[in-house]
Amino acid sequence: MDEVFVCRCEEVTQEELQKAIADGAVTMNELKRWTRAGMGLCQGKGCSRLVMNILAKSTGQSPADVKPAHYRNPVRPMPINSMIKEEE
Amino acid sequence: MRVVNHPFLPAIDEPDITIYVDGKPIPAKSGEPIAAALLAAGIRVCRKTAKKGRPRGIFCGIGRCTDCVMTVDGVPNVRTCVTPVKPNMMVETQNGLGSWVDAK
Repeated sequence: MDEVFVCRCEEVTQEELQKAIADGAVTMNELKRWTRAGMGLCQGKGCSRLVMNILAKSTGQSPADVKPAHYRNPVRPMPINSMIKEEE
Repeated sequence: MRVVNHPFLPAIDEPDITIYVDGKPIPAKSGEPIAAALLAAGIRVCRKTAKKGRPRGIFCGIGRCTDCVMTVDGVPNVRTCVTPVKPNMMVETQNGLGSWVDAK
């Protein structure tokens, strides 16, 4: 089995990420929109560090210099009706 | 797969409630997460992935990775590792992101 799943939620493999980088993705946001890594249920909690490391290694940066992708609220999956205030 | 004789923690009680996993009754202890009851019953597959249909089960166990999400009482994408069991809960194995319609 040579497939390495980096993003478990969206089933994105290391190969797909490296292909996206080879095709020109240079930031975390680009990688995210290109491959959907980090856009699944857990919102990148599992994979964003790994993706960051892959990007850093492939572009010759230090992982500390890679800017994280945008985070959107809510940070935990929740039903939309939990944000609606009930009318009396 | 329960730790019955823990070196420090007191002995645990017997399972006292029943939950239904895909229609099959499973014993559970009140207060434990759904995933713990599933593991004790030998059920390791919580969902099938959306793209490749591969089995997923408990991965992080602390409610972050969402690999153990299942449809619980008609609500899809419930993280079973951090959701306590309730008597007569209906738990269904989830395909992909699940749906509100499929759940009975």
